[in-house]
Amino acid sequence: MNAIILFSHGSLLCGAEQALQAHAEHLRRQGLAPLVRIGFLNYTEPLFPQTVAECVAQGATHILVVPYFLVPGYFVRVDLPRLLDEARARFPSVTFTVTDAIGYDERLADALIASAQAARPLEHERDVWKQAAAFCRRNPECPLFATPRCPATGSE
Amino acid sequence: MQALLVMVHGSPRPDANREMFRVVDLVKQRGVFPIVEVGFMECNTPDIPGAIDACVAQGASEVIAVPYFLHTGTHVMEDLPALLEEARARYPRVQFRMGTFLGCSTAIADILVDRVTAALPNGSAAQAGC
Repeated sequence: MNAIILFSHGSLLCGAEQALQAHAEHLRRQGLAPLVRIGFLNYTEPLFPQTVAECVAQGATHILVVPYFLVPGYFVRVDLPRLLDEARARFPSVTFTVTDAIGYDERLADALIASAQAARPLEHERDVWKQAAAFCRRNPECPLFATPRCPATGSE
Repeated sequence: MQALLVMVHGSPRPDANREMFRVVDLVKQRGVFPIVEVGFMECNTPDIPGAIDACVAQGASEVIAVPYFLHTGTHVMEDLPALLEEARARYPRVQFRMGTFLGCSTAIADILVDRVTAALPNGSAAQAGC
């Protein structure tokens, strides 16, 4: 059984992964594989090894790793192969394939133009912080933690 | 006159920016914005204040900034707006607006689908209906 893992950097900021979650849901709706999961390199859970273990536990025999990176830089060329070596040692019967990173695509130009055409005054950008607060996981490393905007600590 | 300012993280490997520059060249070709400039947060030049100077020098009355970032986070939510607010103080007659970061776009999801189907065996790709 195929599984897709979107491999992402992760963030200290609560809720930073919301856009990626939406992309994962899009892949699920496309029916590309019975399992579509996210595995993070740092900070955000689940970390990549945990995601691999969960996919295998659910019957994955072939795991397609999609680097959620604009360019195949250090994280994709160095960290990911190390994680894959560990995963292969742990699950020798499972095969792994790594796809291309996002890289160049004409649709990125259209996305840039669309974003610019929907741009808002600078004051509105700060509203995004409110979205982060909505996904609070009481993470002391989150930039919002212990600020007035942190629901976990900021209400006093 | 509108200027598009593409705000990029920057990389110690100049090669890492090659594909971004190809995308920006395509944006220029589309001709939607008379001025298009790239500004880097780190590592590469011009930096973002320098790119804004270039927009204004070309006659921009409005600068629309879009983060070429896949993720939200402190750069997108704090550092970049702070740089734009500083620029607004320097150029009070220029309007500044900011778009959502690139990773928000549904185009990213479509591209991920393509990366997956390119790597799956043919049968699976056909099944995906792409």
